Amino acid sequence: MATKTVQLEIKRQASPDAPAVWEKFEVEWRPGLNVTSALMDIALNPTTADGHATTPVTYDSNCLEEICGSCAMRINGRARMACSSLIDNLEQPIRVEPLTKFPLVRDLQVDRSVLFENLKRVKAWVPIDGTYDLGSGPRVFPQQQEVNYPLSNCISCTCCMEVCPQFNEETGFVGAATIAQVKLFNNHPTGKVFKEERLRALAGDGGVQECGFAQNCVEICPKQIPLTNAISDVSRDVLIQKAKDLLRS
Amino acid sequence: MATAQHPPTPTVRPGVQPLRAGQGTSFLWHKLHSLLGIVPIGAFLLEHLLSNYEALKGPAAYGAQVRFLNSLPMVRLLEWVFIFLPLLYHGLYGVYIWLRGKSNIVYYPWAGNWMYTAQRYTGLIALLYIGQHVLRQRFMGISLPENPGAAFAKVQHELANPWMLAVYVIAMIAICWHFAYGIWLFAAKWGITPGVNSRKRFGYVCAALGLALAIMGLVSIWAFVGPRYKNTPDIVPLATAQLHIQNAPPAYTLL
Repeated sequence: MATKTVQLEIKRQASPDAPAVWEKFEVEWRPGLNVTSALMDIALNPTTADGHATTPVTYDSNCLEEICGSCAMRINGRARMACSSLIDNLEQPIRVEPLTKFPLVRDLQVDRSVLFENLKRVKAWVPIDGTYDLGSGPRVFPQQQEVNYPLSNCISCTCCMEVCPQFNEETGFVGAATIAQVKLFNNHPTGKVFKEERLRALAGDGGVQECGFAQNCVEICPKQIPLTNAISDVSRDVLIQKAKDLLRS
Repeated sequence: MATAQHPPTPTVRPGVQPLRAGQGTSFLWHKLHSLLGIVPIGAFLLEHLLSNYEALKGPAAYGAQVRFLNSLPMVRLLEWVFIFLPLLYHGLYGVYIWLRGKSNIVYYPWAGNWMYTAQRYTGLIALLYIGQHVLRQRFMGISLPENPGAAFAKVQHELANPWMLAVYVIAMIAICWHFAYGIWLFAAKWGITPGVNSRKRFGYVCAALGLALAIMGLVSIWAFVGPRYKNTPDIVPLATAQLHIQNAPPAYTLL
């Protein structure tokens, strides 16, 4: 009995400097199959569609439920999470490529540490470390929680940066994810102790001013984070901070 | 024994560099670019389109408007500080911003992304058009500040060339688009419209304004090329303020 199969074309690259090659794969269809599970099937039997033995495809993944942000890749030309990309919803052959804006490690794996570095540079955390018990934090009202919760859903997948025309080596733009986290931590009653520092950081080269408002970030975000609203709000806060600094200096 | 050759540890990490937190001056230059697009450039555009509209009243009225504008105190200084220099900065820095972006509408053909791209192309059209327009109409040919009566014929001769007419029509539409979407972008990026619905509503306002300005501009162009004021003499006499009073009907006739 003939089994239904799934056609995939995967962009392979053995090392950052190796030439890129496309390899075709065919895996057996099963209900609920997604791109990550197809990659797992290939790893079980790393043979191309025309029968040549090859290496298993390298890729990042972890939670398999669109919550860890690891498996972002370009699928049929668009940045998205491989784990939530159901095969049945995709046009075949499914073309799978690594993200284009980040240094390639191997195959579909890229180095997205620039986001972690950016988050550190805007102090995207709540400072609670001390030498003694600081006690319970201030109360966050439900109205504020409703604003903050969507922002806290960021999974650092970097899709917003991948699709941004302004995120590139020329501008060194910080990207929507970091700006949204600045809004989140500035809203936090303990986190806002760093508010001014975060806003000044975002006025640096590659800061919030580089946004061209193409709005791709908010279209692509797998967690539906209101990124453009955050950029607008944070831009205003940065501007006001810079004006205050100018007048108070 | 072979020794492993390790490449030197890279001092600069590859790929997009992280935020230069708090460093550099690009924030100031970007915000200046953004602000200048509204005032004075946008404000001047409104003035210019309103003045052009006087052409519908004929060569004398148009010339009188040119004379009025040139009678403003320190008009040559105003011209450089509020028109030429801001335009030059906005245009050149705009090209610089364009060159640093990497358009990707092929993969992400969404409305916002199209507008992002359109803002760059319309900006370039505006820059090239305004360059030749200022050169040919302000600094070449008969000098209008000294001869405001020649204004109508100068523009009419320019638009008699169908290619130049096409340039003016295309540029008029592109500039009105660029200004309308520019206001929308200004509101979004300065945090005036931080909500999805507010941006949507303001989008309609900007679209209406852009459309109104474009129609106004095109109607003004029609005044120069249409049949009504065909073959205007090179210099038309302008009514002086005194003449107006002399020719005015006695006050009692207005009652």
